[in-house]
Amino acid sequence: MADNNNTLVQVRDLKIHFFTNEGTVQAVDGVTFDIRNGQTLCMVGESGCGKSVTARALLQIVHRPGKIVDGDIILYRKRSHNQTEEVNISKLEPKGSVIRSIRGKEISMIFQEPMTSLSPMYTVGNQIMETIRLHTKADKNQARERTLEMLKFVGIPRPERIIDEYPFRLSGGMRQRAMIAMALSCNPSLLIADEPTTALDVTTQAQIIDLMQGLQKDYDMGILFITHDLGVVAEVADNVAVMYLGNVVEYSDVRTIFHDPQHPYTQSLLRSIPKVTATREKLEVIRGMVPSPFRRPSGCPFHPRCPKAMPVCSQVEPHTIDLTENHQVRCLLYDKSARNSVREMAQ
Amino acid sequence: MTEQTPQSQLSPAVNNGQPLLEVRNLKMYFPIVKGIFGKITGYVKAADEVSFSIRPGETLGLVGESGCGKTTVGRCIVRAYKPTAGNIIYRRADETNVDLAKVDNKELQTYRKDIRIIFQDPFSSLNPRMNVYEIISEVLRVNNMCSPKEMEYLVANTMEQCGLRPEYMRRYPHAFSGGERQRIGIAHALVTSPRLVVCDEAVSGLDVSVRAQILNLMEDLRRDMNLTYLFISHDLSVIRHICDRVAVMYVGKLVELADANTLYTNPLHPYTESLMSAVPIPNPDVRERKNRIRLEGEVADPSNPPLGCYFHPRCRYARERCKTETPVLRDMGNDHFVACHFADELELVGVRMA
Repeated sequence: MADNNNTLVQVRDLKIHFFTNEGTVQAVDGVTFDIRNGQTLCMVGESGCGKSVTARALLQIVHRPGKIVDGDIILYRKRSHNQTEEVNISKLEPKGSVIRSIRGKEISMIFQEPMTSLSPMYTVGNQIMETIRLHTKADKNQARERTLEMLKFVGIPRPERIIDEYPFRLSGGMRQRAMIAMALSCNPSLLIADEPTTALDVTTQAQIIDLMQGLQKDYDMGILFITHDLGVVAEVADNVAVMYLGNVVEYSDVRTIFHDPQHPYTQSLLRSIPKVTATREKLEVIRGMVPSPFRRPSGCPFHPRCPKAMPVCSQVEPHTIDLTENHQVRCLLYDKSARNSVREMAQ
Repeated sequence: MTEQTPQSQLSPAVNNGQPLLEVRNLKMYFPIVKGIFGKITGYVKAADEVSFSIRPGETLGLVGESGCGKTTVGRCIVRAYKPTAGNIIYRRADETNVDLAKVDNKELQTYRKDIRIIFQDPFSSLNPRMNVYEIISEVLRVNNMCSPKEMEYLVANTMEQCGLRPEYMRRYPHAFSGGERQRIGIAHALVTSPRLVVCDEAVSGLDVSVRAQILNLMEDLRRDMNLTYLFISHDLSVIRHICDRVAVMYVGKLVELADANTLYTNPLHPYTESLMSAVPIPNPDVRERKNRIRLEGEVADPSNPPLGCYFHPRCRYARERCKTETPVLRDMGNDHFVACHFADELELVGVRMA
């Protein structure tokens, strides 16, 4: 895909299945993407498309009954100058010491709901200090210093007071800032943000996005940004991966995705959003709904809702096609050989 | 139908100037109770002197950040709350007026079928122990509005209008997806053929593709059933899409009210301007050109609001006068109302055009 020296994480053919009583759900079914240093990859898709599970897999925190069944997640850990060490996260023991040294240190995560992801039992400061003391050799006082510094850094007013407050005393935006302070306290090389602004107001959302972009510049962090808000994507992304039912259906840089989308799902998705700049007219809709994960359609999983579906789409599962070096699409419209092979079989 | 302007879609009743609902100086104060004797130590002024009117056939949007009191206003209108003070003048079908803020619970029953509400969360707003038929028909049953036979017909009919299959009438809510549940919520509101529907964040919890379906459905229903909507949302793109006029609230007060196009392109209140500036535009080319307004600080505490204009601590145009004197909502002409001392002088920019 790209030159390796700037690559931070390589995910190859990742498969995560959930083994439930009603059957196996293929939540993530062969996902491949790269995250580069200092860049933001946005993952877009509707609920149930597997974007959050993919993110959790990077930290090995997919909870039961989910399991990583196949694929590689290669993390290029920075060692000394120009030295990197490869770790395959998907093969690590979820409770082992290696992944525990990565979690919160090299890869950290901001969750969607700042209300539920901070513990109500400990003060904000305590929770941030815990991370610092776990991953660095700092003593209590140094950790407290560092925490104050971080709280100030993310724009929390009066950090000396807030550090000893319990999370319920803070507003949503402040809690999200505290989460970010915690995530950044050990200078991670990858920040995973799972819908970090979805529960926030537009004005707070704008503040948080600015903050994250500023921090990215300062630290040269890679960011995996998960969202379903295409407006936010246009604002923060360098590259975009569009997901549908456990597959990345289209991957490219942000301009190509917005101005020249190739996959019918991306095209319809972009047309179905109401715009602030446009006057009232009927929205285009994608017919039907996201199918139940237990009843995954045959062939291309999008074919029952696809405006450009062809008869072969229900029979053949599409593969990822390279349109250009940085533009991949998973659709039979662009795969002549697959279409021809079906035709030959029919004859 | 798609190309028509909002004005031409309105019913002719709009032009005779009689609003369907008029809210005057609505106040809703929630007491803050401390200690075991229930001593009242203060009030949260969730809605403070809110006035606006809704014309028949139009969609009025109500926007603002969380905690600004928009939901409280909606709930006062459906009389889930009894307002502390003020009037809610509702114009009945026989062209006489009634003040909903004053009527007692018994009399209120007659208006329950006229003014309905659609809730935000389709997961918690449907009773999991009732099947779809029971949920939708409940209001008919409680109010003795029709015979059981008619009821079944009416429910089936409404379900069909809302894009649900009447065969699924006996199923329970858990068997439906988020979008279908929101359709059940809409059917539940529309089964009584209401005149005014309060939509409280009705599409906020939905996925992009489903949201588009529901927005189109609501627009079709409005036309077919002659509905009037009060559309409460924090999503400015959705409001722009569906509303004729928009009211902006900040800490319990109405700060601006105007026709949707005017409000988005030519706002007069600094708060509206900063809201417009914060909306992410789904076009990657726009982000370089941004000279955005970033609001500092947090929404004021409605139990202890700042003196003067509530917005002044965050306002980049604030002057001395703003710190002491509370601005009132005044008419700037062309049905454009704003509560800012300096609305005539300020040159504010609207939404960034793509």
